[in-house]
Amino acid sequence: MKRTIGAALLALAIAAPAAFAQDVPAILAELDRQGDFAGKDFAALYTIVSQKPGEKDSVTQVRMFRRDDREQFTMLVTLPEVNKGQGYLREDDNVWFYDPTSRKFSFSSIKENIQNSEAKNSDLTKRSILDDYEVASTTEGFVGKIPVWVIDLKARTKDVSYERVVLHVRKDRTMLLKQEDYSVSGRLMRTTLYPKYVELDGRLMPSQMLIVDELNPGERSQMTMTEQSLAPLPDKVFTKAFLEQVNK
Amino acid sequence: MNTLANIALRNLTRQKKRTVLLGSAIAFGVMIVTLINGFAGAFSANVSENFADLMAGHVFISGTEKGADDEELSVIRDDSALTAAVEASGAPVRYVTRRSSFSGTLIFEGKKLRTNIDGADLSKETFLRDRLLLKEGSWDSMSDENALILSEKIASRLNVGVGDLILVQLETVTGQANVGEFRLAGVSYDAGIFGQMISYANLGYVNRLIGLAPDEYQTMGVMLDGLRHTEAAADAIYGRLYGGVQLFERGAKDEDGAVTPFQALMRQQKKESWQGVKYRLFTINEVLSQIEQIVAALDTTAGVILVVLFVIIMVGITNTFSMVMFERIGEIGTMRALGVRRGGVRSMFLYEALFLALGGAVAGIALALVAMGVISLFDFGMDSPAFIIMKNGHLSFFLPPLRAVGNVLIIAALTLVAVASPAGKAAKLTPAEALRTQK
Repeated sequence: MKRTIGAALLALAIAAPAAFAQDVPAILAELDRQGDFAGKDFAALYTIVSQKPGEKDSVTQVRMFRRDDREQFTMLVTLPEVNKGQGYLREDDNVWFYDPTSRKFSFSSIKENIQNSEAKNSDLTKRSILDDYEVASTTEGFVGKIPVWVIDLKARTKDVSYERVVLHVRKDRTMLLKQEDYSVSGRLMRTTLYPKYVELDGRLMPSQMLIVDELNPGERSQMTMTEQSLAPLPDKVFTKAFLEQVNK
Repeated sequence: MNTLANIALRNLTRQKKRTVLLGSAIAFGVMIVTLINGFAGAFSANVSENFADLMAGHVFISGTEKGADDEELSVIRDDSALTAAVEASGAPVRYVTRRSSFSGTLIFEGKKLRTNIDGADLSKETFLRDRLLLKEGSWDSMSDENALILSEKIASRLNVGVGDLILVQLETVTGQANVGEFRLAGVSYDAGIFGQMISYANLGYVNRLIGLAPDEYQTMGVMLDGLRHTEAAADAIYGRLYGGVQLFERGAKDEDGAVTPFQALMRQQKKESWQGVKYRLFTINEVLSQIEQIVAALDTTAGVILVVLFVIIMVGITNTFSMVMFERIGEIGTMRALGVRRGGVRSMFLYEALFLALGGAVAGIALALVAMGVISLFDFGMDSPAFIIMKNGHLSFFLPPLRAVGNVLIIAALTLVAVASPAGKAAKLTPAEALRTQK
């Protein structure tokens, strides 16, 4: 009898992680689906409040236009006033930065920070966790009192900003609560908390993000998403001419 | 003609005080202009030589690798072809440096600062110990893998001392975020406004941080026996490399022509597509080609000063010679009565002005040379804020001979113009009218 129970427990111990391992890709695929508006255009207004020790809080506002089918986006800075009219445009694999003062475009990157905040361009765009990362390990944990899967990911490609990312995903529904970004050398650089979500076309979108700079104590950015819309956008929004025109 | 020239010379010596005052005015103007020309002449060479020291080379070769996704990567993986080309070029090479570098943010106890950090193989680049004087710490501590040498200015702004651990936030060559830890091994004396350019770490550790292998690097620097060999050496090395490795074209100009040769080379890199590592060869002169614009601006300033000073001096000369003509009106009448023609009287005045101008100009140049010699004796030290325009801490001058000759000719011409009017009036006097006029 004891042998039978022991064997059953052993089988369960082996089977449970295996069964869970099969679920992790599904969780990641669901996270990818939630951030992908393929077949539709997406627009939203992001307000980023950045705090730095010894400095006044700075407010940055950007209007984001996305067309995920073609991996295109246009980001227009509306605040602060001094940077109003600056913009980012993704065309094919290139990200361009437009400066209305010089009226010139220069090469930029999806890995760049948005203005003087802790947020990166890539935080506002479509993500493909399954393409970019592979699962290194999965454990269970808590964020506050909420049980989560802690999924440790390692970069498959060097196109991503962070070599290692740890996701804390709610167990009861696929919702990312916390993300930790690590440097190539393995040091924790950034922690992002996702306290609020909105539902949009059957997808859960974080409407609030708190990004904490782990290298510079006291530096953090809170990003809020409002005015989200899935209405079709004119093609010209995703052109250099659009960024030039809005500044005329 | 000789007689007229002799009379002109004699006239100058008759009124010594007046001649000395006029000559001094001319000499002062020439001295100022010559000093500016001399400074501009050495400026370009000094800045280039000092930058060559900072960048550890006169000729540079860097590698850019493009992967399958067209992403650019700054790296030299195998430098055997480069080394062979440098050796075969016959260039007077003092030493060759191999460096990697990155621009990162140093973080220490809530303070942060962005700076460039050069990774150098300090076991081979022993000259650095002689050139970079340490205020605190020691070169021996650089044997630690993650040791770092900062300039006085950066160390002070970070409030960091020798032995402190400093975080550095950077991007790898592929653009991934990375963080490293440096141990401050030494603080160097500030090299003026370029102090922030000088932060040194070990090549191996810098490579690790930016994602390169230990034996790889980003830029080869070839230090020559002097700046004067730069272009010939660059041509010779380029010639040896040509056909053997993938090379960017040298001296390419952008379509709009509004960029420096170095910027044009960088833009060319963005436009082209290739596989593997492609090399670009550039010189310190190309990097600093805008220095030539500063030199041109200095020379233009000198020219404007020359003209302004001489317009003032010309007014004085015209007035003085009008007075001289009036003083000598009886003498002019006598000469005209004895058969000297109008042209002879005019020539006499012009000779007098010419001798005055030449004497003043030569004295001015001589004074400027003495002043240059005296100024260049002052040692401002290697920590002077203006170190980059000096030669080993001394202000230095180089006066191009043709420019000096040009200045003398301009002054002679301007003086002749200034005297033309009184000389013309003197020539027009009839003998009777001149002899009749009472002073």
